[in-house]
Amino acid sequence: MRSLRYWMFGAVTAAIFCLALFAGPRTINPFEMNGMERDILFSIRLPRVVVALLMGMALGASGAVLQGVLRNPLADPYILGISSGASLAAALGLLSGFYFFGSVSVPLAAFIGATLVSLLVGVFGWKRGGLWPERLLLAGIGLNFLFSAVLMLLMSLSSDEGLRRAVLWMFGDLSMADWTLIPSASVFVVAGLGIALWRSRALNALILGDEFAHSLGFAVQRERLLMFAAMALMTSASVSLGGTIGFIGLLMPHIVRFLLGADSRVLIPASAVAGGAFLCLADLVGRSLMPPLELPSGTVTALIGAPYFLYLLRRKDVLSI
Amino acid sequence: MSSAFSGPILEFRGVSFNYPGEKRIVEDLSFSVGNGEFIGLLGANGSGKSTILKLASGMLHPAAGGITLWDKPLSGYRNKDRAKLLSYFPQHLDVNVPFTVREIVGMGLYPYDIPPQMTVDEALELVGLADKAEVPVTNLSGGERRRVFIAMTLIQGAGLLLLDEPLANLDIKYQIEFLRLLRRLKETKGMSVIMALHDINIALQFGKVMLIKSGSILGAGSPETVLTGVRIEQAFDVAVEIKKSDRGNAYIVHEQW
Repeated sequence: MRSLRYWMFGAVTAAIFCLALFAGPRTINPFEMNGMERDILFSIRLPRVVVALLMGMALGASGAVLQGVLRNPLADPYILGISSGASLAAALGLLSGFYFFGSVSVPLAAFIGATLVSLLVGVFGWKRGGLWPERLLLAGIGLNFLFSAVLMLLMSLSSDEGLRRAVLWMFGDLSMADWTLIPSASVFVVAGLGIALWRSRALNALILGDEFAHSLGFAVQRERLLMFAAMALMTSASVSLGGTIGFIGLLMPHIVRFLLGADSRVLIPASAVAGGAFLCLADLVGRSLMPPLELPSGTVTALIGAPYFLYLLRRKDVLSI
Repeated sequence: MSSAFSGPILEFRGVSFNYPGEKRIVEDLSFSVGNGEFIGLLGANGSGKSTILKLASGMLHPAAGGITLWDKPLSGYRNKDRAKLLSYFPQHLDVNVPFTVREIVGMGLYPYDIPPQMTVDEALELVGLADKAEVPVTNLSGGERRRVFIAMTLIQGAGLLLLDEPLANLDIKYQIEFLRLLRRLKETKGMSVIMALHDINIALQFGKVMLIKSGSILGAGSPETVLTGVRIEQAFDVAVEIKKSDRGNAYIVHEQW
């Protein structure tokens, strides 16, 4: 029964990737491409699909990790203020004329912002030689409000066109995707995913509670720190690639738990794959619905994701809360 | 561990504990647990029972004094090695993730590279949940959940169990069932147990009890010698009488409320 589900999961995901590459305002037949179609495929579609894939993977896996670390099924990487911190850093970078690194400047500022906020959340979440879930969550919520407020203040005081663009971009936009950021971002995503998979048994134990995790032979605080670092790496890389795209981190782990079970050894990789597929699909929908107009992917994920999430909430066997 | 070793499995020597900058919770505590012993740790709320068990599990570290496990400092063990020798069973089991029963019980094998003798199915058989292996633990009742975690602890195979109020929130039927299961394990597998509890009637049935007040031992030994009316009044701040039933079981009678 479950192995059939694995196959179906894999088949649906593969179908979405193919669709994202070859469908769209202009359908491409991979077996009969002319020069222009090849250009579209390799310089526009492929980098865009790869960016969507990386971001979706990072967010899906981060959500699975964070829900485990915080022992809270409502956790989402953005709840910790990482996205608003990244947006603020990007906006500040633009306002202060931080173009030193050319087209990479805004993503770099966003990445630095996201990393600094993760550290800050960690500092506030630290007590008695360890990270505590409730403290992390409250610190993240507090910082999230603070950074959002400062960002709103900047926006209302500034008429800078660049700032407006940065803020739009932060709402999740893949239309600027190209190959520039992919190599460095994939290093962070792969590193975070690697750590999360390596420690997935420890995450299972942490979900049972600190006492059981300790009793089963895990160094609780070390494991929590590793998992938090993995989540921060992936989320920061994702925000720098294409801004803030909501719902993937929250939704994917729930869908995967429903289809394939809660064991983190399956949950983390499957949430990553599902997240990648979901964002590819959302992006495909966003650029195909009313061409040449493109809907921001973040809007599409929320428009598809939110109703589905509410549907799941009504099914009592999915959310065990 | 070598069977030639005949000393205590667990020993506290002058252990004190407090959180940094706070007052002492455990004060100059010394006791030992022999192989196969079954000890009830009795005391009022806030007397330090849980802290003592957490110290014994290595989760908290003494501010003064030393703890040895099989004659070696507890803090000197690698986490995984310690997990093969003792397991700690917390008071609160709150799992809101739908792991299946089989998945949770299987986690008891995490400390091992090569799985020990008992399989998940055997452990489930022992706790009477063989037919629930594939059920999400979130669909089970409180008593069943507790048995799932007991099965996990069994498969973990440690010789010393530290149980923090395992009877809390259990119906009297499950309390008795649980105590019977523990006795069976002690008899068949030679397990040693320290169990924190605050029900004096249950403590009266133990082979050995330690009465705790303010993180110190008020008395230790057989229930007849330790659980006297005077001592219980000291520990719990309430006047009681110890009676014996027709069947020879001791029980307490307290003031009318």
